[in-house]
Amino acid sequence: MNNLRVFWNRYGLLIVAVLLLLVPQFTTQYEFYVVQRGVQNAMLVLGLVILIGYTGLMTLGSAALLATGAYTYGILLLRLGWPPLLGTIGAVLVTTLVGTLLGFPAFRLSGPFLVVTTVGFGEIVRILILNWEPLTRGPYGLSGFRAVMPTTRGVYYVMVVVLALLAVVTERIGRSRLGLAMKAVKEDEVAAEVMGVNVRRVKLISNALTAALAGLSGVFLASLTGYLNPDSFTANESTTYLLMVVMGGMSNVVGSVISSLFVTVLPEVLRFLAESRLLVYSLILLVYLRIYHVRSSKARAKSAGSRGRS
Amino acid sequence: MLKIENLTVAYEVAPVLHSINLEVKEGQVVALLGANGAGKSTTLKTISGLVRPLEGSIRFGETEITSLRPDQVVEMGIAHVPEGRMVFPGLTVEENLKIGSYTRKFSQSELRAELESVYELFPRLAERKRQLAGTMSGGEQQMLAIGRALMCKPRLLMLDEPSLGLAPVIIDSIMEKIMEINQHGTTILLIEQNAHLALELSHYAYVLSVGKVVSHGLSSELAKDKDMLAAYLGGS
Repeated sequence: MNNLRVFWNRYGLLIVAVLLLLVPQFTTQYEFYVVQRGVQNAMLVLGLVILIGYTGLMTLGSAALLATGAYTYGILLLRLGWPPLLGTIGAVLVTTLVGTLLGFPAFRLSGPFLVVTTVGFGEIVRILILNWEPLTRGPYGLSGFRAVMPTTRGVYYVMVVVLALLAVVTERIGRSRLGLAMKAVKEDEVAAEVMGVNVRRVKLISNALTAALAGLSGVFLASLTGYLNPDSFTANESTTYLLMVVMGGMSNVVGSVISSLFVTVLPEVLRFLAESRLLVYSLILLVYLRIYHVRSSKARAKSAGSRGRS
Repeated sequence: MLKIENLTVAYEVAPVLHSINLEVKEGQVVALLGANGAGKSTTLKTISGLVRPLEGSIRFGETEITSLRPDQVVEMGIAHVPEGRMVFPGLTVEENLKIGSYTRKFSQSELRAELESVYELFPRLAERKRQLAGTMSGGEQQMLAIGRALMCKPRLLMLDEPSLGLAPVIIDSIMEKIMEINQHGTTILLIEQNAHLALELSHYAYVLSVGKVVSHGLSSELAKDKDMLAAYLGGS
């Protein structure tokens, strides 16, 4: 059991990446598309591992950052005629900037107040896209821009490689000095501050990294679908992303990648159930969370129980 | 080393400290005594930048530190062990200690050396380095909190009631360690409810009452002042 765990910690990511690279050989076009979306979702969820898992800042606005990345990419290519690579860089930078600005209210807010703020931010972005027609074509949707790679398979392979690299980086961040500071902020902000951690800076960096990943995920989303519509970026999507990171174990990188794929694929696998599909889908997720997370949160409560007055 | 002049602090509108003056000399153990609500913890929090004063100045050596951020104060060499320990319960003992050296930007070997010196002082922590801090006993958590503060190699160590909620025998061993740290050259500012214990250990003491310094002097002399002890510290 212990050996298995060590093996998994060392090679888990590699195994997942190799399996993902093999996927196009065995799937129909539609199945392949679903997996592609899974990989693209995983990229965003890695950002949430940093923000929610490491730093402990809750968010329900991730779809808005995804939209910012996707739309910026589309607009830069269509309206300014930028090449895909430059468009990608531009989209990631713009999203990072927007995400960092969103980080400012997070200085003073926490818990439910912070969550409500992020939901509000998500709606603002969506409604902005919907109504800024000259730039975004609003409800008609944006299309006609080039993907980052000429073929779908090309996009996919690039995406898997990028995801693997980002996963390694995210894992490394978790074990770095910065990662330790993030975890300290999550555990106890005042104590972290007393230890000399600049809490504001750590929060800002977390938000920036998360936004960068969401922006990149948006670029790939735009490349996969070739068509962007404000309806794909509702609060519902943000909730799904939250679900993915929670199921993945919050600060577990490989777990989050797997749960992103799982949560993306599951509704499609259940399609044969027709009307009861969503019911079964929710049920599977509930049972999983009940079994796995109630156990781990009990262990956690036990370890925190003996803590002194604070 | 540390000099506080005319320090006035208020939470919202409620004044907590009224123009207090206080001095800590290099190498000393200085005790801050007083009943609950006297303003002891607020004094420490103001020094470490967690609370902003309304008026007054705090100088550390030649440097004015009154308006510095908490992380900058730590960088100056002032470590604060907050009340109630505040270890990070979900992190391991070693991770807790590493956070303590956050402002120092040690190389790997320096970090190891620093960890080793804390483990030498508190062998219990070495035995438990992979354990989650929240699973340890109160005394062990207090050792961890002190060890964590030492990781930034402070010149001044501020301890907010290190004896809080601990059994007498554990308190003795913690106090012994504090003396040992002092003998290695770290100046100490200590808050303690137990006036007798504090006066026994410290060189100099200040007595706070409702936000004012009502008495100060050499600890050995204050310990003889029965009236003062009875009036402010409930001693006999």
